[in-house]
Amino acid sequence: MTDLPSRPVPKTNLYVPSQPFWDGARSGELVLQFCLDTNRFQHPPHPLSLYTGSQNVEWRPVSGKGVVYASTVVRVPGPGVTGRIPLAVATVELDEGVRIIANIIESPFETIQIGSLVELAWDRLDGGVPYPAFRIVSRQGSVDA
Amino acid sequence: MARTDVVIAGFSETKVAYQSGRSAYGLAGLALSDLLERTGIEKKEIDGLSVTLALSEGSNPFFAVYMADALGLEPTWLNAGGIGGCSATGGVARAISAIRDGMCRVAVVMSADAPSTAWRSNYGAYRPEFQDPQGVQGPPATFGLLMSRYDHQYGLDPRALGKIAITQREHALHNPNALEKFRKPLTMDDYLASRPIADPLRILDCVMFCDGANAFLVMSEEEARARGLEKMVRPTAYAEVTNYRGSDAAPDITESGFYQVAPKVFGKSGLSPADIDMFQPYDDFTVAVLMQFEAFGFCRTGQGSAYVNDTDLSYRGSLPLNTGGGQISAGQPGLASGGLNLAEAVRQLFGEGGERQVARARNALVTGIGVIPYGRNWGCSAAMILEA
Repeated sequence: MTDLPSRPVPKTNLYVPSQPFWDGARSGELVLQFCLDTNRFQHPPHPLSLYTGSQNVEWRPVSGKGVVYASTVVRVPGPGVTGRIPLAVATVELDEGVRIIANIIESPFETIQIGSLVELAWDRLDGGVPYPAFRIVSRQGSVDA
Repeated sequence: MARTDVVIAGFSETKVAYQSGRSAYGLAGLALSDLLERTGIEKKEIDGLSVTLALSEGSNPFFAVYMADALGLEPTWLNAGGIGGCSATGGVARAISAIRDGMCRVAVVMSADAPSTAWRSNYGAYRPEFQDPQGVQGPPATFGLLMSRYDHQYGLDPRALGKIAITQREHALHNPNALEKFRKPLTMDDYLASRPIADPLRILDCVMFCDGANAFLVMSEEEARARGLEKMVRPTAYAEVTNYRGSDAAPDITESGFYQVAPKVFGKSGLSPADIDMFQPYDDFTVAVLMQFEAFGFCRTGQGSAYVNDTDLSYRGSLPLNTGGGQISAGQPGLASGGLNLAEAVRQLFGEGGERQVARARNALVTGIGVIPYGRNWGCSAAMILEA
């Protein structure tokens, strides 16, 4: 659970068919696009494989475990952060080798450092719709991405 | 030294203003009238037009055509420049190709935008679902992430970023076209005390969206001389890249496309970093300037802070930096921003730098940056070398 204010739920499937991401979130899984030609994930989703250009792409759950690759704390008002500042944002490099930009929740700011290990946590958009975030699980990870 | 048969034979630039109340069309009108008056060219002679797509007119896919209509031009070559801050130098490069191909003879590269008066853009794509809910809608959060990673890998001295801001502010004091609000000196204490936006980004590291326009007249040297135009600069090298590292799921976000672009422009021009007389880099954020010193080989990668601290970057210094104040201190006229750095380079090489004229300047390196993609460095990088 989190004290962060809720946010509007975006319309899905407008860019590429993204329903598996949202269905996965409702069942507690982070589901991302996976290229079957190269056995690599890609995120955000694309209308084809980034690696080969083929349509041989499906959605698969990831472990939700990773490491902070870059981090910031947004401290000024702006679009999409109303009532949520200061807001921790990180680029997380997942164990599967793909990166995702996410909020870091349930974690003191001083624990959010590059190299810190993270695990999947769930933030809530309006109506309780789950949206992926991460929490710090140890101060310093072994991986320096 | 490399030579080119097509030149920039004139330029104009409006004053940068905040919430001017004018449209991109209105600002473009001011810029074109001024360009015609300064060069003596008649409007009917213009048969080529490149129009930088504008944030304030982002809802109109026919913006370039409407711009031709607004200005009363009848181009046989029309280019819509959609690479953001690379569109001005990119527009000049495309105009040169078009002139060489016989598509037109006299081209105007027009960049005008008024996002502080009207914002009519929506980037769409993946952003509503995968970037906006996290509160990463604007560039500051992304640049906070980029700076944190750079600092982790190489070390980032806030005082070096402060020196860039202070030096450019000093230059803006001598630029009558700079936003009035910014025409006052800045100290290191001011910089260090300025409020954090997205750690470690401070507000004085950032540009402010404003309104403004700039225009460049491109034609063959022969055409220019036939019209009695004596001031001209030669774009002797240009290179760009879009969506740099776009098919890499985990690139080094501190590596920009300038690492690909820089060797190309130095190779084409035959110049080396030591030969560059002034540097007019795209400066949406101070760290982008610092990282460009490295990518263009003014110093080694990771040594940007030390280089800035050890180098006189004033208009009298060893490498004059954004001598008109850059976007950070003159104001960022939306996506017309890339033309601000270019206009200052042309102005200097025309010997029209006034109080801030760089002595004995024979060349300039100008750059552009466009778009902040998801989880990578900036998406578009462009560089042009101009020679007098």
